[in-house]
Amino acid sequence: MSEPVADAVREGETATRTIPAGRPLVVLAGGLFWGWLLLRWLNDWLGGLFVPRGEPFVSPEAVEALGAAVPALRGLFDSTAFAVTYLPALSAGVWLTIVLTATSIALGFVLAVPLSVARVYGRWTSYLSLAYTELLRGTPLLAQLFVIYYGLNFVQYVPPLLDGVFANNAVWAAIVGFTLNSAAYQAEYIRSALLSVESGQLTAGRAIGLTKLQAIRYVVLPQGLRFAIPGWTNELIYLIKYSSLAAFITVPELFQRTNAIASDNFRYTAMFSLAALLYLALVISASRLMNAVEDRVAIPGLGARGR
Amino acid sequence: MTGVELPPIALQQASDWAFVWENSGYLFAGTALTIALTVASVLLGFFVGFPAGVVEVYGGRASRGLVETVGVVLRGTPIVVILIFMYFVFPTPDLTIGVLGVTASLSGAFLAGVLGLGLRSAAYQSQIFRGALQSVDEGQMEAARSIGMDKLASIRHVVVPQALRRSVPGFQNEVTIVLKDTSVVFAIGLAELLTRSYDLFVVRTTAVLEILLFASAIYFVLTFTTNRALDLVSARYAIPGGESA
Amino acid sequence: MSDPLLRVERVSKSYGDEQVLREISFEMDRGDVTVLIGPSGSGKSTMLRCVNRLTEVDSGEIYLDGERVTGPDVDVNELRRQVGMVFQDFNLFAHLTARGNVMLGPRQVLGLSKEEARRRADEQLALVGLADQADSYPAELSGGQKQRVGIARALAMEPKLMLFDEPTSALDPELIGEVLEVMRDLVERGMTMLVVTHEMSFARSVASEIMFLDGGRIVERGPPEQLFERPEHDRTATFLRRITQLHS
Repeated sequence: MSEPVADAVREGETATRTIPAGRPLVVLAGGLFWGWLLLRWLNDWLGGLFVPRGEPFVSPEAVEALGAAVPALRGLFDSTAFAVTYLPALSAGVWLTIVLTATSIALGFVLAVPLSVARVYGRWTSYLSLAYTELLRGTPLLAQLFVIYYGLNFVQYVPPLLDGVFANNAVWAAIVGFTLNSAAYQAEYIRSALLSVESGQLTAGRAIGLTKLQAIRYVVLPQGLRFAIPGWTNELIYLIKYSSLAAFITVPELFQRTNAIASDNFRYTAMFSLAALLYLALVISASRLMNAVEDRVAIPGLGARGR
Repeated sequence: MTGVELPPIALQQASDWAFVWENSGYLFAGTALTIALTVASVLLGFFVGFPAGVVEVYGGRASRGLVETVGVVLRGTPIVVILIFMYFVFPTPDLTIGVLGVTASLSGAFLAGVLGLGLRSAAYQSQIFRGALQSVDEGQMEAARSIGMDKLASIRHVVVPQALRRSVPGFQNEVTIVLKDTSVVFAIGLAELLTRSYDLFVVRTTAVLEILLFASAIYFVLTFTTNRALDLVSARYAIPGGESA
Repeated sequence: MSDPLLRVERVSKSYGDEQVLREISFEMDRGDVTVLIGPSGSGKSTMLRCVNRLTEVDSGEIYLDGERVTGPDVDVNELRRQVGMVFQDFNLFAHLTARGNVMLGPRQVLGLSKEEARRRADEQLALVGLADQADSYPAELSGGQKQRVGIARALAMEPKLMLFDEPTSALDPELIGEVLEVMRDLVERGMTMLVVTHEMSFARSVASEIMFLDGGRIVERGPPEQLFERPEHDRTATFLRRITQLHS
């Protein structure tokens, strides 16, 4: 019987995932955020394209003056003026946060694919891969960063070619730490995605004369990696947030800059609210982007979105 | 950025590993704090996160919207920012609790740590429980209602027992995440395992790697033990013949 | 006392644009076995679900034992206590043993003590021939056994009326017999039953009345002999021909 069902008892049991605010509002906010960031970076890199480096586009005094004109909204304008004052300094931190995340997730992926393939299809290499992922996933990321930065004094090994790419070579230590850590987590996601590809697929690949490695490369991985996208998105979002730990090895990313300014002006609440908003914007953008990617690469009949 | 209290560190000249060994008691005391933080935060996370998950599935529009919004903010913000927020924005006084002659002092930093880690964990646990509740077949609810049980009793006696079993793997994952993230209270100077390691190696800079490897080994043992213990729980409550819990 | 046990008056129900029930009316006396037949989507299951209000009617009234059960002031839990339901896909509580499934209602709804509930559960399980499976979990039972537990679970509430929503449709053919046998026993014990099924020989042998539903209306109704041998409507004849071909 396939009679439609929707009634009192079932009502509310299927919580649909809806966007809390209206969709146009989200798009508008996203456009403003990224537009501002791009202009900001361009301005500061090109040595003051619109306004002097590090100066706000709109003067905070002007915003405060507006607040004086409309007393009812004074609090709002004061907060905005505060944000306008400090956002330029934070935007450089946002840039480093994005660089750390993007580089590490990409390099981590390069390591994760062989790690997961070894884990699923390897013999003794599967134990190596297991040991690696268990060790990296069994210890705190911050401890790993300490090992690399303080324990191994990684900064002295940065090759001359890369030396000077960032003002502070600790960034390289952070990238190495995040890459190694993220590889372990990504490998887990990819591994379970590979396992969810039907075993008949590999057999069918071998049956038409592919080697095992070829069958994995051309048949299993293209399907498995699509299954892995939701998990991979999680990992990306984790990494955006956990890149903040680089602050503890002196990397001036978003959190570090926020903290530095806050310990100067003692306005912790306001500064960290601002930082939280920026992180939220990055996280939400990343999850939207990945949803779009997932839709884009979907194959009919494969995975949750492929139908 | 770390606390200022000076550790009672043994400073005799010896090999670096001997230095670690001499100060192992100091590190183990930090480990105890790590465990206490983890347990308190996971519990807080459960007692807030489980009802939140129920609200997300069965709640009305308004309560659901509220829970979802708070959840998005907590899940979208780095734990270090949340911890700093708890520490500076809602400063908790140091508490001294006396029960049956045993007194325990809870520092403001500890409470901030538990609040930050616990509420963030609640936001994740609510997602685990929401998913588990939704994965229970709708027919289960209908069958319970059809023998005259009201909605609350049906949720409590039929849906929740099944959902809790399905939550174990997600919960397991969450516990280890909280355990590892207790290290981030370094930011508010709480003297747990990693903070104490830091305090040690700034005193004896030749032993940095030894100290960190020792601390990492402790963390690894803790996460490994937790995982195996929860595997046992899972096996203990598995439904015979059914999916493994 | 000539009040019918169940009286359905001009019940209508639609989902969006699709009208599933159009002014359905019928009555059942105590001990009656009424079988609803008809193609998929004809509204049979919806009709059943309206009786214990798993689905709400749009208009019309339903009376059980002279009391109106439609309307906002009715205690639906009390109603459902009196009306047992057996589902197509069993819906056994997956985390409870067979006995636990049957005990839950008596314990939580009727407030029986653990011992009483247990005794009642074991009685009911014995009646459906599953005394030896009381400690098995649903996943350890065959489909036929599951459905018999489902019947026992509904009977443990001592209902006045039993609703069967295609109780054998999800079963392998060799398991259908054991469930039908339990249902036949129930008929003999005088239970009032409203049954949706495609098992025509069963319908023919036990029904006091058969109603053919199509497009949300009762197209034709009557005692089994009349409906099977002298259907008045072409649609009834066509449907019966098709379904007997399918099942022979």
